[in-house]
Amino acid sequence: MSAQAVSRDGDGDRRIKKSALTLALVAAAVYLGFIVWGLLHGLS
Amino acid sequence: MSTTAIDAHAGHHAKGFLPWILRWITTTNHKDIGTLYLTFSLVMLFVGGGMAMMIRAELFHPGLQFVNPIFFNQMTTTHGLIMLFGMIMPAFAGFANWMIPLMIGAPDMALPRLNNWSFWLLPFAATLLLMTLLMPGGGPAAGWTMYPPLMLQTGDAFPFVIFAVHLLGVSSIMAAINVIVTIMNLRAPGMTLLKMPMFVWTWLITAFLLLLAMPVLAGGVTMQLTDRFFGTSFFTAAGGGDPVLFQHIFWFFGHPEVYIVVLPAFGIVSEVIPTFSRKPLFGYSAMVYATASIAFLSTVVWAHHMFTTGMPLSGQMFFMLSTMLIAVPTGVKIFNWTATMWRGSLSFETPMLFAIGFLFLFTLGGFSGLMLAIVPADYQYQDSYFVVAHFHYVLVPGALFGAFAGAYYWLPKWTGHMYDEKLGKVHFWLTTIFLNVTFFPQHFLGLAGMPRRIPDYNVQFTDFNMISSIGAFGLGLSQLIFLYVVIKTIRGGEKATAEVWDHPTGLEWTVPSPAPHHTFDVPPVVK
Repeated sequence: MSAQAVSRDGDGDRRIKKSALTLALVAAAVYLGFIVWGLLHGLS
Repeated sequence: MSTTAIDAHAGHHAKGFLPWILRWITTTNHKDIGTLYLTFSLVMLFVGGGMAMMIRAELFHPGLQFVNPIFFNQMTTTHGLIMLFGMIMPAFAGFANWMIPLMIGAPDMALPRLNNWSFWLLPFAATLLLMTLLMPGGGPAAGWTMYPPLMLQTGDAFPFVIFAVHLLGVSSIMAAINVIVTIMNLRAPGMTLLKMPMFVWTWLITAFLLLLAMPVLAGGVTMQLTDRFFGTSFFTAAGGGDPVLFQHIFWFFGHPEVYIVVLPAFGIVSEVIPTFSRKPLFGYSAMVYATASIAFLSTVVWAHHMFTTGMPLSGQMFFMLSTMLIAVPTGVKIFNWTATMWRGSLSFETPMLFAIGFLFLFTLGGFSGLMLAIVPADYQYQDSYFVVAHFHYVLVPGALFGAFAGAYYWLPKWTGHMYDEKLGKVHFWLTTIFLNVTFFPQHFLGLAGMPRRIPDYNVQFTDFNMISSIGAFGLGLSQLIFLYVVIKTIRGGEKATAEVWDHPTGLEWTVPSPAPHHTFDVPPVVK
């Protein structure tokens, strides 16, 4: 990651939103992953 | 900085009650939201503290005095939940909101509206959790760990507790996303990762831990919800489920949670000690790597909370040794803080006193943690008051002392006034004395066999319980001094300079005190 403040205009704003969305998807995947693990544990 | 975020603050000087309240509800300014988090956390300190007083009043004497056993269990449960999710985590989120943009030279957090939402979920979630105490069947009484099957026996409050925990988790996850995105994208030109202040580093690592841990807790309580209302049997043995599965899930969240509340305190102490030693932090890079190592190890030690549930010998060995391994990076940090003070030009203002108190007493909590990590010894200590003593030594002188150190350190920057140093020192000494009076005897109670989470006990435990209760009342009352100091500092006092202390380092000290509403609209250049 470059040590340069990202401008909030255009690409910079998109980059910020993209990182936020990626992290939100990671959190959602962890949440669902553990529920699926719970289901598999019950089925085994 | 987005135009929207600036426009939303155009009315922050508006007069009258309605504009004033609307300003706080709709604010997207990181300093306002930091203040909201810190205020909320202070209120919750007294709510959770009040519950602790009730617990200690009941335990002052053997026999049942003030509350019935079910209410007692509700108090231990909600005390834990409120202190962790309502008090200490929001306190550090407040520090993060106030200080991270100031420390990295950013104009605000990267996602200001999400920031507003993260905060405003909290008061509703905490109120919902507290209101469950008034519902038929009472509030949750299964302990903050919410183990099934006991948790599934909660009365009408059950779905509300689960909803409150979900809301608290969503709030934390959004705050974590905001912190990561801010640090990765909005650092001032020239501020490389290894030039960031330690507080920013510790929060970056904490945010990743939050992102990993909080959804796990949410998954666990969602499964409890479906067990209760949708006929599943994740944790219900009668339907083929496994209650121990919940313990694994809970502690996979629960152990990182300990570091979620203590790593930001490490960061604050790493800012305070160099300032009052008048020396740079010793071994900066080692501190960064040690913090990352602690965070990694915290995700692979969870089953040390579950030795007595039964597991293969290889599992016991793994979790025992990996737990002990945490002592290595923690030792690096303790050594580096001590080495920072070595031959420094030390002065002992209140933030430094709390930092040194942290160093001594958190280490003591760490030692009892090592004792608990030893499998055969843990069979003796499990679910006894020794465990209560251990984690209070970690959380009070660890997390809470870190928060107090940070509050005294940055109060002049936030308010523009110096706090009352004499009262600050009185607050430190009373807190330190009373916390030891409260929690040290609990080690002896646990070693003598007193179980945790009981409202009544054998008469042989009376003396140490009396001492502990007297200490707890003193500890609770001492915090009123802090409240008074904070209010007094907000209302006035000696004007603080921009630097506040004797040549501290960091971008936050380059802006005036109090920090203006908008800072670093033009990014500073870091050399």
